[in-house]
Amino acid sequence: MTQAENILFVIVLTGYALLMGLNFAFLALKKEKLASIALILQTAVLALHTVMLVLRGIAAGRLPMTNQYEFASCFAWALCLTSLIFIRKYRFPVLGAFAAPVILLMIGYAAMQSREIHELMPALRSNWLAFHVSTAIISYGSFGVSFVLGLLELARGRMKKDGFLDQHMPAPEKLDLIAYRSVSLGMLFLTMTMLTGAIWAEQAWGSYWSWDPKETWSLVTWIVYAVYLHLRLRRNWRGRAAAIFAVVGFICVIFTYIGVNTFLPGIHSYA
Amino acid sequence: MPFAIGLLCLLAAACALSSLVTQGQSYDWYAQTYGERTAAVILALHADDAYHSVWFIAISGFLCLNLLLCSLTRLPGLIRRVRAGRDPLSLSAGEATARVSGLRDPEAFFLRLGLRRIRKGQDPEGRELLAAARNAAGYAGPWICHLGVLLLIAGFALGQMTKQESAVWGLPGQTRMIEGTTLSVTIDDFQAARGTAGQVSQYTTAFTVTDLSDGRRESASAAVNAPASLFGRKFYQNSTGWGADVRVLKDGKPCQLEPLCVGEGLDIRDKEGLTVLLRGFYPDYRPGAGGIPGNASEEIRNPAYLYMAVYQGRVLGMNVLTAGEELTIDEYTVTFENPRLYTLLAVKQDRFTLLALLGGAVTLAGLGLALYFRPEKLQAVREPDGSWTAAGWCRKGGALYEERFLAAAKEDTKEVHPE
Repeated sequence: MTQAENILFVIVLTGYALLMGLNFAFLALKKEKLASIALILQTAVLALHTVMLVLRGIAAGRLPMTNQYEFASCFAWALCLTSLIFIRKYRFPVLGAFAAPVILLMIGYAAMQSREIHELMPALRSNWLAFHVSTAIISYGSFGVSFVLGLLELARGRMKKDGFLDQHMPAPEKLDLIAYRSVSLGMLFLTMTMLTGAIWAEQAWGSYWSWDPKETWSLVTWIVYAVYLHLRLRRNWRGRAAAIFAVVGFICVIFTYIGVNTFLPGIHSYA
Repeated sequence: MPFAIGLLCLLAAACALSSLVTQGQSYDWYAQTYGERTAAVILALHADDAYHSVWFIAISGFLCLNLLLCSLTRLPGLIRRVRAGRDPLSLSAGEATARVSGLRDPEAFFLRLGLRRIRKGQDPEGRELLAAARNAAGYAGPWICHLGVLLLIAGFALGQMTKQESAVWGLPGQTRMIEGTTLSVTIDDFQAARGTAGQVSQYTTAFTVTDLSDGRRESASAAVNAPASLFGRKFYQNSTGWGADVRVLKDGKPCQLEPLCVGEGLDIRDKEGLTVLLRGFYPDYRPGAGGIPGNASEEIRNPAYLYMAVYQGRVLGMNVLTAGEELTIDEYTVTFENPRLYTLLAVKQDRFTLLALLGGAVTLAGLGLALYFRPEKLQAVREPDGSWTAAGWCRKGGALYEERFLAAAKEDTKEVHPE
């Protein structure tokens, strides 16, 4: 790990912590200006995080997406990016307040991993790596946003009536639609992840599907979100019920990413 | 749909639970790991090979049947919907979810909403009418996605039923038969390229395949992530390990010299029942505590060979021989030399991989259409005062479509009135 990357990592970590503090202050003090500052900060931290990933890529001589630290860092980056896009696109600052802790948790998880740069094993030296992992990162980031939106929907029912919050929260129908769109994005990219992974596995091992735990849990996650998309076609499965599914889906994502590597050995043990 | 959703949930639960059970182990292994009662349950439910069990195949089969029947029964209705979706005039007053009046430049409004092919006509009251529709193909998205999943599962299932898999391994110079075929594989060369830090960056095997039935020969090289295709089969650089030459002397005179991979045995030619097995290799041998063999690195610095000698099924001895050390059994002297890496090539033939790949691509295309091609219709009529009133509809657009609709209307220079 280079000195510059090390310094940037500390700055980015601190930036995300500050972002969470600012967002919480926005909700607690009910000052709109704080949300605007948080948005600027999120954009700045995202830019620094991008520079950090580029530096890592230059130092490693490859895409920085091949071990637990790198993937966790990219996961946090994707969460930051997708939440920023959704905040800006739907003018939805409260999303930032709920997304910031998830981003901080993910970058915190990255901080606990070894940051050493190792040479890649032969199987990982493939052009498909870039497609497979980058689509996974976008997919996980989108599912992260749908998780946050699901939490928001579930929390809405338990929160006291608050004019400030109501003013900054989309109507239930709109919130549900935004969550649906983030799941749609995630689903499309998860399908790409599984397809590119299958093509890569076929080239590397001669078998595009081996029921490896990571593959199996990707399929479980895919099915959970497929069920979410089907259930939304039924009128009474919107809102709260759909939000529960979005949360369950993201739990599957996290298990696929961290749980499988920790508890279930397989050919993805390096990931 | 509830039946399909139930099956999907069941399939997800089956996959999740099966992933928690280590597959393909023996009863003893399960009993030692999970306890005897759980081991008995695992074997009774065929959870040791869950993904090939009857219940798993039954769930998948029912899901496919459901998908197939749904796809067939929905096709006529789907064709009607796509046709209607392409006709902007089919938008009924009750169908529209967003309306605005007071528009001055309706064509610019249509363009702002991404609708380009504008049809002109008259409404039933004789007013001038502009109408456009787009993304009617989005209706077909779910159907195409389901078709893709069916193709994918069909390709996978057919591949599982018909594929041929085997492996050949050996040291450069060795020739092995591919099991169940008339093809032999000669390992011409095997190289392990190393990166700057000394770690292996690529394994490459050069090999020649000969069809012994007609003498045809073809040569190729396979590397990790770069399989070779010969004789309708694919050869994958799959694994590697250590091997060495075994030299056997009988009464001090050369008797045998053959290459041996770790795990293999050499039958002594003149003494029936006597076999010398190479059980392990330590390139940088360091005896550990209690005499347990250990390895300091993967570099060949102090090579040592773990052998086992067997005579007529009885183990004569098992020990480590370092370079130059000899094993003597009666009149035979055995030495190991010239350690090097052997290569293992997986040989596979799956004629349905392309069908599965096609299924995957169709699934992705269907998803893209279903999720990102939202059918839209828009109509605008000219009011007697010269202004235009527009009505729009977007499938799954909801409140977000209404927002976009109104934002586009607000860009019109004249004041607009949402209805």
